[in-house]
Amino acid sequence: MPTDISHIRNFCIVAHIDHGKSTLADRMLELTHTVDSRTMRAQYLDRMDLERERGITIKAQAVRLLHDGYELNLIDTPGHVDFTYEVSRSLAACEGAILLVDAAQGLEAQTLANYHLARDAGLVIVPVLNKIDLPAAEPDKRADELGKLLDRDPGEILRVSAKSGFGVTELLREVIAVVPPPVGDADAPLQALIFDSAFDTYRGVITYVRVKAGRLPSHATIKMLATRVTSEAEETGVMAPEATPVDALGPGEVGYLVTGLKDVHHAKVGDTITLAGKARAGEPLPGYREPKPMVWSGLFPADGSDYSDLREALDKLKLSDSALVFEPETSHALGFGFRVGFLGLLHMDIVRERLEREFDLELISTAPNVEFHVFKAGDEAIVHNPAEMPPGGDYDRVEEPVVYATVITPSDYLGAVFELCQGRRGEMVDMEYLTPERVEVHYVLPLAEIVFDFFDQLKSRTRGYASLDYEPWGFQESKLVRVDVLLHGEPVDAFSSVVHRDKAYEYGKRMVERLKELIPRQLFDVAVQAAIGSKVIARETVKAKRKDVLAKCYGGDITRKRKLLETQKKGKERMRRVGKVDVPQDAFIAALRVDEKAKR
Amino acid sequence: MSDAGIYVHVPFCLTRCGYCYFHAYAGLDELKPRYLRALLTEAELTAPGWDCTPFVSVFLGGGTPTTMAPADLRALLVHLRDRFLLADDAEISVEANPDTVDEASLHALRDAGYGRLSMGAQSFDPAVLASLERIHQPASVRAAFGAARAAGYDNINLDLIYGTDGESIESWERTLREAIALAPEHISAYALTIEPATALGRQVAARERPAPDPDVQADMFSVACAVLGDAGYRHYEVSNWAKPGFECRHNLGYWERRPYVGLGAGAHAYRDDVRWWNVRPPEGYMDRVEAGELPIGGSESLDPSDAYLEEVFLKLRILEGVPASWFEPARYEAFLDSGLLEAAFGQLVPTERGMLLLNELVLGLTA
Repeated sequence: MPTDISHIRNFCIVAHIDHGKSTLADRMLELTHTVDSRTMRAQYLDRMDLERERGITIKAQAVRLLHDGYELNLIDTPGHVDFTYEVSRSLAACEGAILLVDAAQGLEAQTLANYHLARDAGLVIVPVLNKIDLPAAEPDKRADELGKLLDRDPGEILRVSAKSGFGVTELLREVIAVVPPPVGDADAPLQALIFDSAFDTYRGVITYVRVKAGRLPSHATIKMLATRVTSEAEETGVMAPEATPVDALGPGEVGYLVTGLKDVHHAKVGDTITLAGKARAGEPLPGYREPKPMVWSGLFPADGSDYSDLREALDKLKLSDSALVFEPETSHALGFGFRVGFLGLLHMDIVRERLEREFDLELISTAPNVEFHVFKAGDEAIVHNPAEMPPGGDYDRVEEPVVYATVITPSDYLGAVFELCQGRRGEMVDMEYLTPERVEVHYVLPLAEIVFDFFDQLKSRTRGYASLDYEPWGFQESKLVRVDVLLHGEPVDAFSSVVHRDKAYEYGKRMVERLKELIPRQLFDVAVQAAIGSKVIARETVKAKRKDVLAKCYGGDITRKRKLLETQKKGKERMRRVGKVDVPQDAFIAALRVDEKAKR
Repeated sequence: MSDAGIYVHVPFCLTRCGYCYFHAYAGLDELKPRYLRALLTEAELTAPGWDCTPFVSVFLGGGTPTTMAPADLRALLVHLRDRFLLADDAEISVEANPDTVDEASLHALRDAGYGRLSMGAQSFDPAVLASLERIHQPASVRAAFGAARAAGYDNINLDLIYGTDGESIESWERTLREAIALAPEHISAYALTIEPATALGRQVAARERPAPDPDVQADMFSVACAVLGDAGYRHYEVSNWAKPGFECRHNLGYWERRPYVGLGAGAHAYRDDVRWWNVRPPEGYMDRVEAGELPIGGSESLDPSDAYLEEVFLKLRILEGVPASWFEPARYEAFLDSGLLEAAFGQLVPTERGMLLLNELVLGLTA
């Protein structure tokens, strides 16, 4: 018997990382007896190993809670800037959002970014202060801050402790009271929004859907309106929180669908599912977008003979990761590999980690870069690889992606934030004092600058107090140049990078200094140069090796000496040759390592 | 069968030096009588396998062989002459530390038949000796050397070590000149090598002491080549110089891949592309011998590629060089161009710079 639509509430929790979203979800599962205390475990909804370790929710999931005769669908949203689009689709499946704020930390950039997304999606906002039992909590102050943002009486803002469960029942009551029930015509043609999809080894592609109109039966010929793929669906159900089959999902309901598809690219987030056949087909829901990689990096097997294994692994990952794109790449220095596109740095780390962990591959990855648009004689070329950028400025202009960044910082660190953003070619849009002590600043910044250790710099210059969020903001023209690194006159394609003209010298100098330390001495002096086109901008020399001989060779133990030589010989065989220069694998890995990764 | 050698290992030292990775123990003096008996027994067990092999050298190494009484060393040599076919003019060397000998003991040794003395001088700079944890002073080297001459020794080697932490080029050159002033027949000069499994190696790994600077050691090597060459010593192996006719016949045996017997704990032996070695702990070694067994701890058979690698690197070490016809010209032309090898009478011979980069030469030629 399907729930009466007036008794359905679809909502999500938006919060900055570590403000207690997963803990609150855990308490809701418990208080509604959706999970009994025997099987309860922390961060119940974060399924994958990887997610649990990093404390980040990657895959959105929906769980059904039954409470006071209501069906409450809690839709989990990804908490990282890489997945902004996925967040927007999850929000589109809801009517309300709990805006959860740590009573000690207060508003953070991610809180704001997600709040704006939720508000723009037309959701009813339920503000909540969490962790009010922490000694450092300042609930009154935070309530004022939040009240000002939402234009509400601070006294109305609920206060909870997700950890102890204090106030969570009241919060559920509030959700039922203020979040409107969904609306939708059960007799209209089916429109079901895909807000997440996953790949299961046994069951194929499973989508998480919100039915906007019509009914989604458990067995039907379905059609994806964007990809135009049809399939025989095998099962509909709800997560309670384990998968529980149902006969059908009605309008306003949230659940899963076993699609019968074998490739996630056929059932993409944001697409609309309808039923096949003209008479029954619905219209596509608004807001669909192709996933767009923002960050690119070359991935090469450390052992060249693992190339086909890497290809297979990427093919397999692609089945469950619709945002992953890749194309073969050949590097003189690193051999055969792939240029891989990612949604962002976290996505890149996750893919790399999965390749190494699940597929047991050892990888060398080049420094991440963004996409460049190169204009020459009326033609536009899209470049994902610095080595493909025309050298020496042989083009009319170049455009690079920029982002709209939100930084929230204690006002004491405002100067440090300005300095960092200016130094990263940022242009300030505006700023606003949230309270006398906390400021929200907006900058338009080149994405390339953020890809390179921006987040860590921000954290270290503000003692960890500032937070950052950003969204794509189109492309803009920049004075970019390609800096090449040459060993003994031979360019090393893997080290080429596209940087702003004003930073080329600094970058070149840093690279050659680092390589000078990493490249073992050879039998001749090795020039390590950084160059723009044919113009050398920095140079170091690795002096020729003068001594490499076993001092003592008697006492009869020749075996030991020979073994030392053999070890040396094997080490040499593992080196990669750039022109005449032998470069150990480790030197590539160390030289390509971004100083600190922009994680959070 | 080509001329063979006998190596006898004496694993006793007065103290253990921080840099030394050789197989040696301090404070096991009470084992000496039993160890000597074991050596004699092992010679008896071993000799039948070497029937009809002419031996041209004996080398007592260690450790510090002169920590054993001259009478015991005499008994040992008498026994070896008895069991092995040792030539009358065989080169019989014994290693000595300056503090373990005096004129009387040296006289006794020479009288027993030990005609060549190899003395661990290491340095004439007290700071360097202290850094190496050597217990002797420069003066005791000069005293011991004088005693050896007085005892009739006319074939003496001095071992030197260069590149110790704190040693300057100037100090090294003074050490060389002090050594030359004594006019030994033979001088060995070794670059200090940091072995991980030594006290010094652990200090370097822990960054308590700096590792030797290879460039400074290269400069020191050049100084040695120049100073020793000017003084009439011929450079005949990477780390060895001798007055003409005083090259160490025994050590040449290793480098020329001639056969050798190894007696004593941890000693190595070699014949016909097979190398084997005795168990290392003295107790274990003695137990095995006393049970009437050969105390072999391990062995290896050189396959043709191992043998080839050894042949090349050893021939290059003794400056005999290797026939150019063994290699594709592409393998050595760059070395000729860059002055690391010279071609002479169809042989490829390392230059002074090439000797310092011998590993690179070997790897480049045999890759």
